[in-house]
Amino acid sequence: MQRSKKIVILGHFGVGKTSLIRRFVTNQFSDKYKVTIGVHITKKVVALTSEDSISLILWDLEGTDDLDQIRDAYLLGTHGIIFVFDISRPSTFQHLKTDLQIVSRKIPDRPLLIIGNKKDLVPEDELHETLNEHAIQYNYLTSAKTGDMVEEVFLDLANLLNKDA
Amino acid sequence: MVTKMDEQAKLEILQDILFPDDRGDVEDISKRIELVELIINDKKKLAAKVDPLVDDKLSAFTKSIPDTLGPTITATLKKEIKNHKDEVVDALYPVLGKMVKKYVAQEIKILSEKIDNQLGFIKGFKRKIRSWFGRPTEEQLLMRELASATIEQVLLIERDTGILKASYSVTNTIDEEMISGMLTAIKSFVEDAFHKKNQNLELIQYELYNIHLQSFVTHYVAVVISGDYHLKSKNNLQDIIFNFYYNFMAINLDLVFQSKDHEKDGKEVRTIDKELLEKELEASFANAKI
Repeated sequence: MQRSKKIVILGHFGVGKTSLIRRFVTNQFSDKYKVTIGVHITKKVVALTSEDSISLILWDLEGTDDLDQIRDAYLLGTHGIIFVFDISRPSTFQHLKTDLQIVSRKIPDRPLLIIGNKKDLVPEDELHETLNEHAIQYNYLTSAKTGDMVEEVFLDLANLLNKDA
Repeated sequence: MVTKMDEQAKLEILQDILFPDDRGDVEDISKRIELVELIINDKKKLAAKVDPLVDDKLSAFTKSIPDTLGPTITATLKKEIKNHKDEVVDALYPVLGKMVKKYVAQEIKILSEKIDNQLGFIKGFKRKIRSWFGRPTEEQLLMRELASATIEQVLLIERDTGILKASYSVTNTIDEEMISGMLTAIKSFVEDAFHKKNQNLELIQYELYNIHLQSFVTHYVAVVISGDYHLKSKNNLQDIIFNFYYNFMAINLDLVFQSKDHEKDGKEVRTIDKELLEKELEASFANAKI
């Protein structure tokens, strides 16, 4: 049996949302129109078992520093959320708590994964120091460049949605 | 020596002397029991005896429904309608849509007749000019046929999520689930950008193709059309969509209520059968002339 779930990918400008998706999804449309209407849609089928799978319809929303500006119409009916920040740029996670409050207000009661991307740009010892310093709670640290932990994020979300269904 | 048989015979004689009436009663009772058995075992005979009683009871029960079950049914219906407002409105939409369309069509017909009467002489003049050029040739008729509107693809899409529920396509196209998502995003963008909450994007045009979008409350139907798509085609297409959607909602509502019941008893909740929906889509749109 295969079900479809709508996932929105949120985060500030240039945190690597599109790159994460591009790494995860191989075939996709051109994303040139993302600039025009502010969203780009791709799909990936994730196998949960040999007989069960989930079709993730990924809504890659244009990055914004003010999450309140996101069009509510794009968030309607969302099943799961991936919030991405850039580990190498503190400005993208300094207000993480406030950002997540906005996300929870706009999309209440939905599974949410917090991702720190671009881990390849920060040395391992500095990485944890920075995250601890800002008391950042996260679910995964990824690198869209090397592909590190990318598959795991989407598989985890697919499993969460499967439990949630 | 007195045999056992003799004892039995003597006992019977003694019984006849002492209880002559009882013996008659016993025979009578056993005959009645046999008759009752016969009636019970014969369905027709039993029905003849029992049916009038059941009919009377049923008739009394039916008459008492407004008083006995009426309040419970009304309360349940109110609760279900309140819980599934969108689905109920969605189910009514095609019916109301048809009624409104009929009314508008009737008004337009009256208006058109008035205009025709006023422009009667121009029409006659046009006819004359047309007759000078002769009737349309076979090539012209063929060209008209080729240019007529044809349904290429139909997508039934959940309105908020953009998730594809079912599709029908004449030819294979790129991923329909992604198309559904993009159409929903474009639709949301346009509707949001113009701040028209109660208005829906109805048509997307690109060169030789048109995408007609018919919105309902919980879902919308996107139909890709090639050829000459004009008002008459739109009118015909809307009729087909309304008929299809009415059938779809009938199935959907059944499942909504079944799911609600299953929630209570903890059984697995059924979801709408995609194959069934796609058959319904094909039956409605495959050979439809618009």
